Amino acid sequence: MSDRWERSVPVFNVPIWTKPFKALMAMGGLALGLTVYREIAGLGPASGMNDAYAWGIWKTFNVMTLTGLGSGAFAIGISAWLFKQHKLHTVMRVALLTSFLSYLSGLIMIGIDVGRPWNIYWLVTPWNWNPHSPLLEVMFCMPAYAMLPLLLENVPPVLEYFHRYKPGTQAFVEKCEKIMIRFYPFIVALAYILPAMHQSSLGALMLLGGNNVNPLWQTPFLPLLYVWAAAFLGVCCVAGTLLFTSLMWKRPYDMEVLVHLNKICAWLVGTWLLFRTLDLVISGKIGLAFRLDVFAGLFWIEMLFLGIALYMLVDSMKLRDARLMFHAHVLVGVGGLLYRFNPTTLAFQPKPGAFYFPSALEILTSVGFVALAIAGFSIAVKVFAILPAPNYTWFQMEAHENKIKALHRDGEKVVSLAAAATNFSD
Amino acid sequence: MDLTRRQALQKFATGTAAAVATAGLTTISLPGSAHGEEVKEAPKKAVSMLYDATRCIGCKSCVAACSEANNLTPDTGLSGGLHQAPTDLNAFTKNIIKLYRPADGSQWSYVKQQCMHCVDPTCVAGCSFFALTKNPETGIVSWNGSKCMGCRYCEISCPYHVPKFQWQGMNPKIVKCEFCQERLAAGKNPACTSVCPVQAVVFGNREELLDEARRRIAESPDKYFENRIFGEQDGGGTQVLYLSHLPFEKLGLPNLGTESIPSKYMKWQRKLYSFLVVPTVLYATMVGVIRGSWKEHQHHMLEDQKQTGLRPQL
Repeated sequence: MSDRWERSVPVFNVPIWTKPFKALMAMGGLALGLTVYREIAGLGPASGMNDAYAWGIWKTFNVMTLTGLGSGAFAIGISAWLFKQHKLHTVMRVALLTSFLSYLSGLIMIGIDVGRPWNIYWLVTPWNWNPHSPLLEVMFCMPAYAMLPLLLENVPPVLEYFHRYKPGTQAFVEKCEKIMIRFYPFIVALAYILPAMHQSSLGALMLLGGNNVNPLWQTPFLPLLYVWAAAFLGVCCVAGTLLFTSLMWKRPYDMEVLVHLNKICAWLVGTWLLFRTLDLVISGKIGLAFRLDVFAGLFWIEMLFLGIALYMLVDSMKLRDARLMFHAHVLVGVGGLLYRFNPTTLAFQPKPGAFYFPSALEILTSVGFVALAIAGFSIAVKVFAILPAPNYTWFQMEAHENKIKALHRDGEKVVSLAAAATNFSD
Repeated sequence: MDLTRRQALQKFATGTAAAVATAGLTTISLPGSAHGEEVKEAPKKAVSMLYDATRCIGCKSCVAACSEANNLTPDTGLSGGLHQAPTDLNAFTKNIIKLYRPADGSQWSYVKQQCMHCVDPTCVAGCSFFALTKNPETGIVSWNGSKCMGCRYCEISCPYHVPKFQWQGMNPKIVKCEFCQERLAAGKNPACTSVCPVQAVVFGNREELLDEARRRIAESPDKYFENRIFGEQDGGGTQVLYLSHLPFEKLGLPNLGTESIPSKYMKWQRKLYSFLVVPTVLYATMVGVIRGSWKEHQHHMLEDQKQTGLRPQL
């Protein structure tokens, strides 16, 4: 039997309530509790932010940096739909889910970070907009993207679940699917124009930072470099997730698709590195990279991470080594995230003597909402058909379900099909 | 029946998309022409301040007068609650006098800091809902609490580090000099300019004050740094003007060049988004391509279904 990824199959032989899952939920719960304290006490007592570093990790890391990892649906979707690489359709559901959860946790963080959240409602009144503000672009486009195309594209697995386990809903589900199919191209195209706009605007945010941003990072091409980095970060996140889940849950993996993702990632990283270097050389700022200071150091750490990652991407592609591939994607992730984080914080130098280090509360909240996103992912892939697998895995799942149904029939309690599907435990 | 309904729906969707795009075009272009676009010149009636560092005696009466006029709690932190002694502009301080004294004993100077009321303010360019606006007549940059969502982008983008945020409490505000608007409306001068005992800071029309500054430079040609008025051109121009005997950078006034930060860095951004033409064209093109590949994808799905008998996945 071939290990080609042919359709999405739920992770069926692993329990939901594992220890790591409980730990993630506990971290998320703690973050929610700390949020209450932040809302009552104000930003000062809760965070390490100050007038010089007015943006802390909630914005600079969770929103401006981490949503890069959530751009998988953007980058892989463009390859699949616009460049017609049809074999990538099998991994689209993973891309859509990781993107949705990453954006959702980012959006929650914006809500917690802003000081006067009750005024966010001006977003629905376009006549009050400042059309040239990159922040408005981000504040409007991000929720619009997450709540419209991204949410809608995540609906099919849920519809399928109902179709399969709640026979009464089948007619309704089929009707919904018909409507979705009609509008699908319009929704999908929206899912590429919106992220292209707001991922570049995240870079444009720092343009108005002017001289506060170190010249090694401050360039008129910041928006382009940001959206470009988002593209390869998205691919590395999806490829990394696929490899990690396949290795962890011992599911068969499709080397053809993984190599294809590697190729896309390698091209994006390679051209990005070239463009970044050319920009520095042409603008005459490359000399700054050879000074003995922190900023040159940060620059070289970024370049080294991405350079080594590029080498490993190409190498693992030749060796077809899944573990090496995974490590390559982790390196791409670290390098890319560092690039997107640096101009906002480490290479942001408002004035001499200014200092920022996130408070414990800030870090716990930031990590907690990421933990919630991961927990959401781990439930979703066990309930819904998200992760790709060969067709034979689907038949294995059906056999497994029948076995459990038989067990329940023999016992006293009759458990519904849906409950049986969510309560697998071997 | 199904085909015609489908076509009708598609037409409806295309029409809606077009309508949304046009609506977006009109709504977005309207406020853009009013404000938010590049501002090249200060308004004719621009109110202005001229601070002459060579005259300032560092008495800080302007600091006290500012607190009083704006009902600010004096910042007594440094003095242990005894008297007002702010170390920097902050949530309690809209105006401050600082001392620049180099360790090597060379020339020293006082310097006054408050909002510069830029001709093309970076804070206004970045502000999502125009909580910060520049008055088209007076040029005063002021804050509106009912529009501000507390994102603090103004603090990130201001090249002079002026806007400050109230970090305590549930209803934080942005604090910065607003040119004593209420006093101006009542026919009085800004508090700081009316108490200065040596006229180190004076109030007036921007053009008049520029003339006054040029007159002072012409009177004593070697007195002022580069014989230059800071704010005439710097960062696209400001409505608070500075004269100093020391380099402006020593006094904390950054070297920004003559172009404003929004026009220097946002040029391309503004072109890309103007009237949403580029995004709309891109969207329409993508819909076209995706509809083609959607047909191919559907074909693949049906083939698979025939082979495996499994329900196709969208």
